[in-house]
Amino acid sequence: MTTISVKVEFSGGLELLFSNQRSHAVTIPSTDPTDSAPTNLQYLITYLRDNLLKERVELFVENETVRPGILVLVNDTDWELEGEGDYVLKDGDEIVFISTLHGG
Amino acid sequence: MSSSCGNPQAEEDTLMLRRTKFDRSKDCVRCKERAGNVVVRHAVYCKTCFVPLIAVKFRRALDPHINPLPDGPRRKGLKAAGSLLLGLSGGLGSSVLLDLVNRTYFDFSPDAGGGDDVKSGAGVKSEPRGGRDHPRNASVWPAGRVCYVETCAAFPGARDRTEHVRRVVAAYDRLEFVPLRVEDAFSSAWWARVGGAPASKDLGVDITNQDLILSAASTPHDASESESDTPASRLQRYIRALPTQTAIPSAVHTLTRVLLLYTAAATGASHLLLGTSLTSLSVSLIAGIAQGGGFAVREEAQGVWVPGVRVGAGGSGSANGNGHENGAVRVVRPLRDIGMKECAMWAWWHRLVVVGREKFPGAKQSIGPLTKEFIVGLERDYPSTVSTVARTCAKLAPKKGSATTTNNNNNNNNNICMLCERQPLSGLLTTSSSTPQRPAQDGVQDWKARISIRSFADAGSFATYRPPHFPERDLSITPSPAPTPAPSLTPFLCYACHTTLTSRSSRGTTVRAAPGPTGHPVPLPVWVGGNLAASPPDSGGDGGGADGRREEGEEGDVGETWVRRRMDPASMRVVVADFLLDD
Ligand SMILES: [Zn+2]
Ligand SMILES: [Zn+2]
Repeated sequence: MTTISVKVEFSGGLELLFSNQRSHAVTIPSTDPTDSAPTNLQYLITYLRDNLLKERVELFVENETVRPGILVLVNDTDWELEGEGDYVLKDGDEIVFISTLHGG
Repeated sequence: MSSSCGNPQAEEDTLMLRRTKFDRSKDCVRCKERAGNVVVRHAVYCKTCFVPLIAVKFRRALDPHINPLPDGPRRKGLKAAGSLLLGLSGGLGSSVLLDLVNRTYFDFSPDAGGGDDVKSGAGVKSEPRGGRDHPRNASVWPAGRVCYVETCAAFPGARDRTEHVRRVVAAYDRLEFVPLRVEDAFSSAWWARVGGAPASKDLGVDITNQDLILSAASTPHDASESESDTPASRLQRYIRALPTQTAIPSAVHTLTRVLLLYTAAATGASHLLLGTSLTSLSVSLIAGIAQGGGFAVREEAQGVWVPGVRVGAGGSGSANGNGHENGAVRVVRPLRDIGMKECAMWAWWHRLVVVGREKFPGAKQSIGPLTKEFIVGLERDYPSTVSTVARTCAKLAPKKGSATTTNNNNNNNNNICMLCERQPLSGLLTTSSSTPQRPAQDGVQDWKARISIRSFADAGSFATYRPPHFPERDLSITPSPAPTPAPSLTPFLCYACHTTLTSRSSRGTTVRAAPGPTGHPVPLPVWVGGNLAASPPDSGGDGGGADGRREEGEEGDVGETWVRRRMDPASMRVVVADFLLDD
């Protein structure tokens, strides 16, 4: 099975849910095992939830996507410009999850 | 939504199902050449253009409030009358505010523009300090301080973040760190430090009674308890006495806010800056309205606070006041047009350290967090609606004099709520563009009776109170006999504070420590006694005209009468004489 490696970073307090570690190197299959489609950001979110998340799933995902108030950057660009969950991951991508929920 | 809201984008949001998050192209709308990095309410910006976008929004919200005469010409430059105090919570908004304030007004190094420490290779120019007219070499404020109020004593198990915040602030070498603790609200030492007028005894209040009867000496008689009669233990008794989960964060928020206000006065600050973002402003406006604080909606956005008469007299650095008449402090929220997403992007691209703030455990179902969840979800799916919420609230105004609220420093201290120090401005929710429908207010109880969905009949202690305008058909309730004259705090509170202290809700009711037969009085924040002590004895007369607030128009008179009647310091002074020092 071919794999790709992406760098995942958590910020804004989200790192607390992931072993209090901000940066993670994640290796995932290059195609989704269930439907053989190229692995996308949606797959990564599910993968992180199932494999890296230590506690309180509801603080990261909601309705199969990141919960409102969490920003996602793909190579330093807002994922809203990249198709959100449909963005197809490439080897070496940097994905950042930032929580805005720390308040004012 | 009618077209009168003037926001076509929001209308589209409400009319359309989820649409793409950005208009047309993925290229930056400003420079039109670089690829976009972020979508801000449907508009695409590259990183290079995003930085000055935020800096300009920040300055546009703050600069007009800096000079003592806000409407005067600013071409001659910006010069504040006093120093600056910034309230830092450790949260995202205030962390970004601190960074923006420092870059714009305090960091005079040649390349402090803001781009230099943006993540490598970003190509961000030194833009945040604006164009050529920017006062980068002028001292807008003679001094800047950053005040952090540690709230961990209010929340069991919460972490003390003071030292972490201290390290963050230390990185800004021209700004001084002022750490406070929320229990300072119950500390006579703190009150003396800010120059507050001392009261001879500490005030306590019977929180189980809607009239909030005042009494002396909240000092416990129990020896073991009195040993631990510290500001922190008083704070905790106050918190434990609150009737609902929702009331706890509201109360802590109010204490924090008033601590910041008095600290501003004591340090000669003409301006208190808060890091409320567009998103959190909308949350607090909606949550505030839901909790009955509708009169404060404008103040929540922007306001002026005048310290009590004697406050600040002995505080450090306040000998000459802050340069404003009556020592008025302008409370400004320079991020009020900047959403949480923009704050997060700013913090990320500038690598800011966001300490984070303690969340109140177990409050998930209370009004604040529920409102936040709602607004944050709305902001993601319909990004323009949240600014519509804030702008609609900005249009809400007391029927008269709304234009003067930020300019008029002649506030009469008698009209403030003695607990939260807000001026209830006599406004129910009326929009400035519509015909006001403001009922007469004969007191907070009456207002409460009018808007409350609660039945008086099913609420034990409420049954003994019968508001003057209680619906006639509810005659099953026997009015209580004329109450014995006991000093009551209720007439001196705004609706929201009264609710915080007394209103139970069907959910989230805390287990209140049962008051003993004598009902141990609950300690009150130090400024409540100070405010009662500072009430000028001659201001309660019925002559009218003396305090300027009688000059309202005919229609407005009903509301003003209410303000006047419920705030009769002369008679209150008699009642609380026992608590006051002779001088
Ligand atoms: Zn651009
Ligand atoms: Zn109040």
